[in-house]
Amino acid sequence: MRRVLTIARIVWLEMIRRKDFYVLAIILAALLFMLLTADVFGLGSTPRYLVDSGLLMAWIASSVLAVFLVGRQLPAEERDGTVFPLLAKPISRGQLIVGKWLGGWLACAAATAVFYLLVTAVAVLREWSPDWLTLLQCWTLHVCALAVMSALALAFSTRLTYGAVVTMALVIIGGSIWMLPQVPTLAMYASGLRMDAMLLLYYLLPHFELFDMRRRLVHDWGPVDWTIFARIAAYAALLAALLLVVAWLSYRHKMFRRSELL
Amino acid sequence: MKALEIKGLEVIFRAWRRRAVHAVRGVDLSVEENEVVGFLGPNGAGKTTVIHVLLGFIEPTRGEARVFDRDVRQSIARQRIGYLPEHPQLYRFLTGRELLTYSGRLFGLKGSSLRDAVERMLEFTGLGEAADRKIASYSRGMLQRIGIGQALINDPDLVILDEPTSGLDPLGRLEIRRMIGDLRTRGKTVFFSSHELSEVELVSDRVVILTAGRVVAEGRIEELMPAGKRLEQYFVEVVGASWAREAAGS
Repeated sequence: MRRVLTIARIVWLEMIRRKDFYVLAIILAALLFMLLTADVFGLGSTPRYLVDSGLLMAWIASSVLAVFLVGRQLPAEERDGTVFPLLAKPISRGQLIVGKWLGGWLACAAATAVFYLLVTAVAVLREWSPDWLTLLQCWTLHVCALAVMSALALAFSTRLTYGAVVTMALVIIGGSIWMLPQVPTLAMYASGLRMDAMLLLYYLLPHFELFDMRRRLVHDWGPVDWTIFARIAAYAALLAALLLVVAWLSYRHKMFRRSELL
Repeated sequence: MKALEIKGLEVIFRAWRRRAVHAVRGVDLSVEENEVVGFLGPNGAGKTTVIHVLLGFIEPTRGEARVFDRDVRQSIARQRIGYLPEHPQLYRFLTGRELLTYSGRLFGLKGSSLRDAVERMLEFTGLGEAADRKIASYSRGMLQRIGIGQALINDPDLVILDEPTSGLDPLGRLEIRRMIGDLRTRGKTVFFSSHELSEVELVSDRVVILTAGRVVAEGRIEELMPAGKRLEQYFVEVVGASWAREAAGS
């Protein structure tokens, strides 16, 4: 476990020193400031739209961060040749996979906490009184979704180039969030193989919409029942574990040849 | 116990829609403890492939490789190995001290033994002054030295060096030669590949010459060459004869 944590720590340090996170936080803060000062459609007086827009931006920023940070880990190690001194140490490929995922996920979770704090602070300035328990649940399920997104990006990165990882992961994540909930309705109008394919897609792809509690928070619907909360968290753990196993299976016999990499 | 042992090693690289490349063809090789062995061969002979098999980067198609009697496919086999790649590529966002600490942790070092090992390596590599500077700002020579530091942080019993003098100035080469001598004095085993035959002649107990994935000569330098003959001359003869045989065979 110490070796896994050591690898995770390097991912964390990389995020802090490469400044991607700061750029995203500054963009988020700038957008929030714009929303705070502008009175869009006469909604300026209500903090709800601020929370809704702010959390949507936090979702976008954290998803981008997860895909970019975790997705580049293995391709960058191979491209830069740092994979050689790393794998010459007594670590297994499995430890490397788990360490990279854990570091990336925890870094994204911390960044998301900063984004939430930012949004909450700005909304409180507009006299929003948050339901702290719902807010905590909202953040926790968001972090669960990031665990799956990180594992997805890592699984792709065992065989694809960085550019391909980013494209594939963002298309799947975006599609799952915005398109997947509509698939059952669309399937009702289809038949035969087309309907089967739609339903297969529906059950195969991760359902990120389950982790999105923004509406409960914005409309003061209160916290979700803890049994449901635990089931959604277990769903995330299962999906992340499955994707990590796929990543390990794909990576464990991968050969590294210097002439191919440098 | 042998420091490393390779039996009937074959490596074939296959890629979709590409011709298979037979990189290593039945290599048998062993290195005793406390030996310094130079691993020679022309470009593309398969030296780096053999080294990469020993470190688990590549799985053999056939045959086996063992380090201190452990199969190289087990990660624990690398616990007693220190490895310096040809051009050490290291995390540029870390400082020298952080890189050494990270490497030590991956070898299982902790607490005061880790701190002592890091300080010892900073002193050994002469990078004490630059220890807290980012690796991105290091010169080529400093990179090589921090590379040596990360390879030796665990006080390894077997040190594998892949072209350690490649791209170094004469002073850098002298430092590498001294380091190999120092490792020998401390009872370590050194297995290194190189094109610098004069350097190899000076520091090696034994040489192994590889051509087109096959071992074509192996032995102690004084046994292989009559007095007065230089390793460079012998190398050219052996490799030339091997190529002639290959050409006649095909």
